[in-house]
Amino acid sequence: MASATQATLSLFAAPLPAKPRSLTIRCLKSTTRTTNPPIVGRKLRAAVIGAGPAGSSAAEALAAGGVECFMFERSGPSTAKPCGGAIPLCMLDEFDIPSHLIDRQVTRMRIFSPSNLAVDFGKTLLPHEFIAMLRREVLDSYLRTRAQSRGANLISGLVTDLEVPTSVDAPYVISYTADNKRESLAVDVVIGADGANSRVSKSIKAGDYACAIAFQERIKLPDDKMDYYQDLAEMYVGNDVSPDFYAWVFPKCDHVAVGTGTVCSKQDIKVFQRAIRARAHSKISGGKVIKVEAHPIPEHPRPTRVRGRVALVGDAAGYVTKCSGEGIYFAAKSGRLCGEAIVKASEGGERMINEGDLKREYLKEWDGKYITTFRFLDLLQKVFYGSDAAREALVELCGDEYVQRMTFESYLYKKLADGNRWEDAKMVLNTVGSLVRCNILGKKMQGLKL
Amino acid sequence: MSISMALLSPTTHLPTLSPSSSHFKPLLTHKPFLSLRPKNHPLFTIRASAENGAGALGSVATAVEPKAEPEVPVPAAEAVPVKSESSAGANGSPGTAEEVSVVNLFEDGRWVNGTWDLKQFEKNGKTDWDAVIDAEARRRKWLQDNPESSSNGNPVSFDTSIVPWWAWIKRYHLPEAEILNGRAAMIGFFMAYFVDSLTGVGLVDQMGNFFCKTLLFIAVGGVLLIRKNEDVENLKKLLEETTFYDKQWQATWQEETPASSSKKK
Repeated sequence: MASATQATLSLFAAPLPAKPRSLTIRCLKSTTRTTNPPIVGRKLRAAVIGAGPAGSSAAEALAAGGVECFMFERSGPSTAKPCGGAIPLCMLDEFDIPSHLIDRQVTRMRIFSPSNLAVDFGKTLLPHEFIAMLRREVLDSYLRTRAQSRGANLISGLVTDLEVPTSVDAPYVISYTADNKRESLAVDVVIGADGANSRVSKSIKAGDYACAIAFQERIKLPDDKMDYYQDLAEMYVGNDVSPDFYAWVFPKCDHVAVGTGTVCSKQDIKVFQRAIRARAHSKISGGKVIKVEAHPIPEHPRPTRVRGRVALVGDAAGYVTKCSGEGIYFAAKSGRLCGEAIVKASEGGERMINEGDLKREYLKEWDGKYITTFRFLDLLQKVFYGSDAAREALVELCGDEYVQRMTFESYLYKKLADGNRWEDAKMVLNTVGSLVRCNILGKKMQGLKL
Repeated sequence: MSISMALLSPTTHLPTLSPSSSHFKPLLTHKPFLSLRPKNHPLFTIRASAENGAGALGSVATAVEPKAEPEVPVPAAEAVPVKSESSAGANGSPGTAEEVSVVNLFEDGRWVNGTWDLKQFEKNGKTDWDAVIDAEARRRKWLQDNPESSSNGNPVSFDTSIVPWWAWIKRYHLPEAEILNGRAAMIGFFMAYFVDSLTGVGLVDQMGNFFCKTLLFIAVGGVLLIRKNEDVENLKKLLEETTFYDKQWQATWQEETPASSSKKK
C-alpha cells in the first residue's frame, strides 16, 4: 500500500503545471473560470469526509457531474444517530426520497406553554402535507447507496488526519484507518461533512462555534399510549424543561423520543430531562427507556467555512437553524450545492479549482439563498425563547390560524410563504399585543416573588 | 436528611399559618402567603433528592416538603380557604413505575376546567379584570415553581387575549404614559427656558430651527427608550445582540489574507 500511495502521489506531481502566481492574479481580474488550469490524464479528485445526508448528497452531485469522488464513513450502515428525524416535504421532492422509508407522517403538533396552555398546530395542513419522520440510519444508508450507484466510492474507515498542503499545487492528503490498516489518499478537493465534531474543520483551523446539547431518551410505550402519538408530535417550552430551547416528544417508528436541549446550561441537562419526563408524565408513564443519547448541535456557522480547496457543509459548517434546531435538510442541500459548485467550477472534473471558486459558487449561493431564513429564525429564538413570559406569548400566538399556516408553509417548503398583507399586519399587532400582555403578567409574577 | 427535616416541618409550620390565614381577608387571599416566600433556586436539586428517596415514601408531604423547604406555606396557601389541608394529601397519590413524581396541583376555586370562571370575578355586576390578571399571574408563578404535568384530561385553555384590551391599557399603560409625559414636559419646559435664556429665541421661533427640532427628537426618544437606569446598558446589549448572529455568518467572508489567491467580487 505504500507503493500505491506513492503512485497516487506521483500522479499528482506530474500533470499539475507549476504556474501559481500569475494564474491566480489573473483570476482576480477576470470573472471567467477558464483561467483554472486543466487537469491532464485524470478527473478532478474529491474526498467527502462523512457520508451522512450532507456527505452523501455532495458525493452524489460530484459523481453525477463527472468528478472522481471518495466518501469516508466511520460508522456502519445501521448506526442510529441521536436525531429528531423529521424532514420537511420539500426534501422528499428535491432528494427523491421514496415513501417507504418514512416511518410516520406527523400531521399534528401540539405545543405546551410553561403554564400548560396547549395549542394544536396543524389545522391548516392540506391532506397531502405532513412532516415525515424517518430513522436516520435508514435515510443515511439510502442516500449513501444512491451516491455509490452514481459512481462515488465508499471507504469505510475513520479519517485520522487531513494534511493541508504547503504549496498551491500540492494535494491534500487524507490519512485514514480502514480494516485496521493505516492508509492515505491524496485528493484535490476536500468536502468536510463530518458533523459537529468535525476533524476537517480542525485541520483547516476553521474556528469554533457554540454548541447546544440535545439529549434524548427513547422510550417504548404501551400500545394505547403509543396510539396517542400516532401522528402527533409535542413541543414543550418553559424554564423547567429548557432555559433557551424546547423539549420534545417525537414519535418514531415504534417508540417515542423524549428529549430536551440547551446551550447555556449544559450541566443541568439531566435536570431538564427529568422535568420534561414530568411534564409529559401522564402520557409516557409506564414506558421503558430503551436508549439514552446526546449530541452537540451547532448554534451558528463556523468563522471559516471555506479555506483553500476545502469546504465545510452540513453540521460541520454549522448550518442548523435556531428556534427549531433543524439540520438534516440544510445539511443535504448544502452538500448538494457544494458538490454542484465544484462540478461547475471544474467544468465536469476537467479543471482544477481554487478557493475563489468555492466561495463564489458555493458560499455565496448558499448565503444568498438561506441567510434570511437563518436570520429570521434567530430573531424568533431571541424574542420568544428568552423568558417564560415570551414563551407564553409564543404559544398564544400559535393559536392563530394564519400563524400556523405561515409557519407550516415556510417549514415544509423552505420558501417564504406568501401571505396576505392585511393578515400580516394583524399578525404583527397580535404579536406585539401578546408579548406586551405576557410581559405584564411576567412582571407581576416577579413582583409576587418578593 | 432532607426527608427527616421534611417530615418535621409540616407539623411545625402549618399550625402557625392557618390562624393567620383568617386575618388576611381581602379578595386577593393568596397574596400574603406568596409574599412570604423567599427565593428558591435549589428547586431542581431538592426535587431530585425527593424523587430518589420518595420511592419508599409515597405521600405528598415528603415530596412537596423538600421543594417547599424555603416556602413551606405553599400547601396551605394553595388550599383555598374553602378546602382543608387534607385535600393536599388527597391528590398526591403516586402511581408510576419509574419515578414518583408527586406534585401538588394548582388548586383554586375560580379555576374551572382549565380556565378562569369569569362569573366568579364579578364586582358590581361587571367582571373585575384586574382580579383576573392577578389570579393568572399567581397561577403562572405557582406553575413556574411547581411545574405540572400536562394532561389530556384537563387541558388549559386560558389565553390572555380573553382579557379585553382596554383593561390592560387602563391598568398598565396609562400610569406609565402619565409618568413619561410628565418627564417629557419637564424636560421640554426647562430646555425651552434654557435655550431662550442663552439665545433669546422664544419658544415659537425655536420650533422653526432645525437644531432645536433635533434636540426635541432626541429628548422625546430618550424619554421613551430610557425609562430606568438599566435601560442604557440594555439598549447597548440589544444592539450588539441583534447584529451578533449576522456577524457570525459574515465571519467567513471577513477572513481574507493578502497572500490568499482568492478574492470575492
